[in-house]
Amino acid sequence: MGSFIFKRSLQSVFSLVVLIILVFFLARMTGSPADLYLPQDASLEVRNQFNEQLGFNDPLYVQFGRFFWGLLHFDMGQSLQFSRPAVEVVLQAFPTTLTLAAITMPLVLLLSIVTGSLAAFRPGGVFDRLASFISLIGASTPNFWVAIVGVLVFAVTLRVLPTSGTGTPLHWVLPVAVLMLRPTGVLVQVVRTSMMTALSSAYIKTARAKGVGSRAIVFVHALRNGLLPVITVASDQAAGIVNGAVIVETVFGFPGIGKLMIDSVMLRDFAVIQAAVLVTALAVFIINIIVDITYALVDPRIRYS
Amino acid sequence: MNFWKPMLVAVSATLIAPLTSAKAEDATAVTIVLPAGPDRLDPCETPRSVIGRIIKQNVVETLVELDYTNRTTLPRLAESWEQTAPTEWVFKLRQGVTFHDGTPFDAKAVIHSLERTNDPALTCITRTKYLDGTDVKATEIDAHTVKFTTKTAVPILPTLLAQLAISSVNTPKGEYTATPIGTGPYKFDHWTQGENVVLIRSDAYWGNKPLIDKATYVWRSESSVAAAMVETGEADLAFSIAPQDAINPETDKVYPNSDSALFRLSVDIPPLNDVRVRKAINLAIDRQAFLGSIISDKAELAMQQVGPSVLGFNANLKPWPYDPEQAKALLAQAKADGVDVDREIRMIGRPAMFANSNEFVEAAAEMLRSVGFTIKLDNLEMSQWLKMANKPFAEDRQPNVFLTMHDNNSGDAAFTAFFKYHSNGRQSELHDADLDALIVDAGTQAGAKRAEEYNEVFRRIYEDIVADVPLFHMVNYMRVGKRLDFTPTIANAVELQLAKLKLN
Repeated sequence: MGSFIFKRSLQSVFSLVVLIILVFFLARMTGSPADLYLPQDASLEVRNQFNEQLGFNDPLYVQFGRFFWGLLHFDMGQSLQFSRPAVEVVLQAFPTTLTLAAITMPLVLLLSIVTGSLAAFRPGGVFDRLASFISLIGASTPNFWVAIVGVLVFAVTLRVLPTSGTGTPLHWVLPVAVLMLRPTGVLVQVVRTSMMTALSSAYIKTARAKGVGSRAIVFVHALRNGLLPVITVASDQAAGIVNGAVIVETVFGFPGIGKLMIDSVMLRDFAVIQAAVLVTALAVFIINIIVDITYALVDPRIRYS
Repeated sequence: MNFWKPMLVAVSATLIAPLTSAKAEDATAVTIVLPAGPDRLDPCETPRSVIGRIIKQNVVETLVELDYTNRTTLPRLAESWEQTAPTEWVFKLRQGVTFHDGTPFDAKAVIHSLERTNDPALTCITRTKYLDGTDVKATEIDAHTVKFTTKTAVPILPTLLAQLAISSVNTPKGEYTATPIGTGPYKFDHWTQGENVVLIRSDAYWGNKPLIDKATYVWRSESSVAAAMVETGEADLAFSIAPQDAINPETDKVYPNSDSALFRLSVDIPPLNDVRVRKAINLAIDRQAFLGSIISDKAELAMQQVGPSVLGFNANLKPWPYDPEQAKALLAQAKADGVDVDREIRMIGRPAMFANSNEFVEAAAEMLRSVGFTIKLDNLEMSQWLKMANKPFAEDRQPNVFLTMHDNNSGDAAFTAFFKYHSNGRQSELHDADLDALIVDAGTQAGAKRAEEYNEVFRRIYEDIVADVPLFHMVNYMRVGKRLDFTPTIANAVELQLAKLKLN
């Protein structure tokens, strides 16, 4: 396992370097920050001064060399908009997103595994139909709309939840609920399909014939086999949340990394874009390692030696 | 619902109790929702609304304050001023004023603030937008008298100084600050990135003690959420909500935001180099039809690029009528004289330039097509849009009808006329020697003569040259909670003086 993690880490470092190079050059193809940071009627002299001070007048390869040298020294540069180290800005926003993901994903997994398994137990039954219907709605309804309607219903009309912001546990209810919607919808479908396959396997029939109880058949025997595709899809969904729950962060005023990244792209804050991509890429890499380890734990046939 | 509602209320009461009780204890505290959060809180950046709305005249004050209603200047930290020579002004400072850090407000603080703002190591907007080119310097005559000198005569120096926020000598030079130290009625307390900024009342303030003792600024980019925060009592005032969210006449108040929208025309490129074609475009757009449909019915038709609060605004210009038949006739005349009126013209917009701007350009393009123009509509992202807005213009560009929105909240037409219409203006399509001379001369005049000359500048642009298609002077909607007694004005485009808030 140790050597596997080492090999995967090496591969990931290579991917990260390629990603960083791509982001560096692609971001700079989108235009000069001078136009966005200076007033439209700023003089040419002021513009030149701005570009000179920030090194934007240098050839791209010189800028890249400077950036890469900084990177080797764990220096991702200064944020243009905040005038602070980019890493500091990103690391300040990241915990909010991570907390959102850390609360959302276990709830998603719990809800979808229980619902999907029960739906698969009697395919075509009332519960299955209801679960399929609701999960499809969840997977296909735009988050943005649900978030706004959630605010109108629970905050404005019923006055039982705050509209937005952070501060009390109640502030997290709507954002987490909205964020859960799509992954839960998708995962209920995946769990259901996967469990139906598992439940129709020969070993389940044998277990039934031997008189094993329904609960044990579903949650002990079938579930373990049915979980593999679920892990794959769940990791994908978790990576999506870690990459930034942009809509939820925007609507509810959560200071997370998704909104920070979008704002930084709009404002051509190159240092923050690069730092945010690097940090989220690292997080996705860690999620992937955890998923690989989970595979091995769930399926004894998988060995990474 | 009969079961769930009491349950939810009970759970909420338990979880939210600390929050609400804290609010109830502090009846003179307010929460204000902004559309976006600040990136820095530097005094030299107060002309940017995202910063000015929090700290200008609250934490940091200016020597001079703009009176938008009467288009004049009022004393603030300066008690009086006089022009002692064409390039010299002497300002008498208010005495007995101290900064929040205990240092005295005096000539040294004014000089420090000006030097800090003019430091090329920073791109302070007060310098890059207002003071650049004036080469303004300050010297101490005595502790409470400052002399300002400029390279050339600057008759509107007091207006310019209404943008210079004065900060303590302890504000570092050469770097931006996130902890402003001013003389205002409120002290900066703290800023939590991405969440809020808190100001608290300064008991040592030199002026009248304001009623509000604490202000918390939060930001929500989603307008419906900002509006909901005021409706539920979570906030007391939401600065800018979308027209579709402004549905309660009791709380939703409209105010001019000093933005003026117009189409700039590429007057050198055929067929737009023919004045009949430019007139036809003006006649073909039914501006009135937009008001109350996709543009607020409180917006006003524009005849020039500055609004009524700006010195130089020409109140005598009349709006273009909507007359598609006359537009067609003008196009036919031009065509008969060999003008290629069928040539494709690019209409350039920018998503979210203002509420419903995408729908606006779609409709405007259709109006032009209906009188015979061939219009290709493009909505460009900000950076591409800026590339087209600014000189140098691409040599091979198509004739274009270019949507822009200009914001002049400085109180003077100088910040519009040169930049938008002089041959050397960065966004000017014109090169008319007579107009250039008039713009330059107007800039050297003061008082009534200045207003008169800028009036003539805008008349020529509108009636003689027909350089563009003025559209609307835009408005914002502010939602003011029932606890507050406040009516917004154009000044709120860039600032909100907490000291002016009253409680019901």
